[in-house]
Amino acid sequence: MSLKPALRPRWALATVAVLLLTTACNSGKPSADSSSSSDGTPAAAANAASGGTAIFVIGGKSDDPFWSKVKRGVDDAAKVVQAQGGSVTFLGPQTYDNLGPDAAKLVDSAVSQGAAAVIGPDWVPEAEDAAFKRVVQKGIPLFIYNAGGIEAANKLGALNYIGSDEYTAGKAGGEFFGKQGAKNVLCVNTVPGASNTEARCRGIADGVKATGGTSKQLPMPSSNFGNPTAVAQGIKASLLKDDTIDGVVTISTQDADSAASGIQQASAGDKVKLGTFDLDESQLNRIKDGKQLFAIDQQPYMQGYLSVSMAQGYLKYGLELPQKPLLTGPAVISKDNIDSAIAGAKAGVR
Amino acid sequence: MTTTHVAAPPKPRVAAPSGMSIGDLARRPETGALIGTISVFVFFAIFGGGQFLSAGGAASWLNVAAELGIIAIPVGLLMIAGELDLSVGSVLASSSMTVAIVSGYWGAPVIVGIVAALLLGLVVGFLNGLLVTRTGVPSFIVTLATLFGLSGLTLGLSRVITGTTSVALDPGPQAKQLLGTLVAGKFEVAIFWWIAAIVVIGWLLHFSPWGNWVFAVGGDKESARTTGIPVQGVKIALFTASAFGAAVVGVIQSILYNSAQVANGQSFVFNSIIAVVIGGVLLTGGYGSVVGVVLGTLTFSIVSQGIYYTGWNSDWAALILGVLILAAVLMNNTFRRMALSYAPRMKKKG
Repeated sequence: MSLKPALRPRWALATVAVLLLTTACNSGKPSADSSSSSDGTPAAAANAASGGTAIFVIGGKSDDPFWSKVKRGVDDAAKVVQAQGGSVTFLGPQTYDNLGPDAAKLVDSAVSQGAAAVIGPDWVPEAEDAAFKRVVQKGIPLFIYNAGGIEAANKLGALNYIGSDEYTAGKAGGEFFGKQGAKNVLCVNTVPGASNTEARCRGIADGVKATGGTSKQLPMPSSNFGNPTAVAQGIKASLLKDDTIDGVVTISTQDADSAASGIQQASAGDKVKLGTFDLDESQLNRIKDGKQLFAIDQQPYMQGYLSVSMAQGYLKYGLELPQKPLLTGPAVISKDNIDSAIAGAKAGVR
Repeated sequence: MTTTHVAAPPKPRVAAPSGMSIGDLARRPETGALIGTISVFVFFAIFGGGQFLSAGGAASWLNVAAELGIIAIPVGLLMIAGELDLSVGSVLASSSMTVAIVSGYWGAPVIVGIVAALLLGLVVGFLNGLLVTRTGVPSFIVTLATLFGLSGLTLGLSRVITGTTSVALDPGPQAKQLLGTLVAGKFEVAIFWWIAAIVVIGWLLHFSPWGNWVFAVGGDKESARTTGIPVQGVKIALFTASAFGAAVVGVIQSILYNSAQVANGQSFVFNSIIAVVIGGVLLTGGYGSVVGVVLGTLTFSIVSQGIYYTGWNSDWAALILGVLILAAVLMNNTFRRMALSYAPRMKKKG
């Protein structure tokens, strides 16, 4: 319903383009868990350690839509590194089933391949921190990105954290809501108790409060998980129960789809505004059609791009930025900047 | 073989007798379920206020009940026949991904996607039935294996084909009207499909000879076989029906929300069993009714949605559900004892 027919062919093209790009990047590494450096010569990276700057990036699976954008940033920054005689190697796990230990192994593998700098996300501190500490002990510059925050970076002795902060992102969303006139915002949390989703809702609440409104959380029990109807009906019920609610924010794009339906069923479309964390095709289309107020983007491309640039600048010229953490988000996508966001999505960057 | 034990007569099927006394009523398997449904409705009518009793409030639990019910009725039949089906969660996810990939991503006519998704349900259900009847492995294990296997297959294929785990779908007006529209802006069309399923399956179970077979298979498989009932055929048909029900709901959700996600549906695994058990069906088989399952489904959805109308913190919803399940099963036990032991003694005396 939210898909405009005119947009569909263009979207199909964009998806194909992204796929082609990812396949192109992947073509050099049939089986191993380490991907090739961006110039397509895997061995070069290891051997270049003594002379050039061999930067190793640990990331998610490159067929993950989020990580394909991060990798796009890594690849683009790698062009500069290569021009300066260095190399960039992207290492990702085959699956997410055993993420912590797998990521720790990738960190160790980067060190043993002679990394001059290591960039990695602190997804599972319990499993990964020991490996990260070995990096620092060897005197190899370490950057934490995407997950962990500046706290993890400081604890591990990393140079910086590059990524978004859930609380800050929430606060930006809450303030945006407040500026658009929302006074009572409902934060729908389908994964209550998880630290990142709680931080998002806490940020929303503080952001709305700063502009004179209030926000409360709607925790959804796990018996609703993966059932958009139950989520939509729960949101509808809350809107019917409390007709002062004029804003709904969701923690994921799927929940935003459910919320859009719930708002419509409560016949509250012209009063209740919708916002969400994260970004996908249906969010972009709804914002474009005026059915959704905003989406909060953590700009994964910049996480890859800035991390590699920072590592290269430090290795080559000792450059360091005073901004710690270096936040890549939140960027609030609304009708004011939707066209450039759609263009970016078509290019596989956002 | 040495089937020397005296074949107990198959448990009598529960037909609707005319002119019931209170004693008769208390002995019917759905009486406990009916009391449960009425109690939770009154409870939430008192604490949920006017909005719970409004058309929108009724739509809240009816919409959730309809989708759950389309799965719970065939699952209930299967449980009456003494088997479990845990694979419905993955069947739902894979059928909704199938329709989204075939018709959304590949752009085939939506009817092709729907037929493919429903066929997939039939095939998986048939395989479940075949594996259970041919290998003798308990259905709990077989369908648990299908639950995991199929979810992995869905995730893997979705990534290979589309590169993402969430696929958008533009179903077009006809499919939308038939499967995914909201009547009067509130009531899902699924409610009518649910009613159709209640009527057809209710007639099959309680008024056709085939229904007798289901009770006989669940009551005592050996004696059912010796009386000439095609036990394997009945079971395969029932497994196929429950997977088909899940596939129907998968298609409905994809068309209603214009998208499909691989993580959808897992909550239906336990929710369908909960609804069936609250509805008075014995976990060991041989006892239950379609009306009971319908009441159990209603009870479950009134509780899971009613909580949002009370304005209480929905953190407690799962606790209330847990207490309710226990209470319902204890109450069902009481009524079942009356139905199975008390009535025959009366007949002997009279």
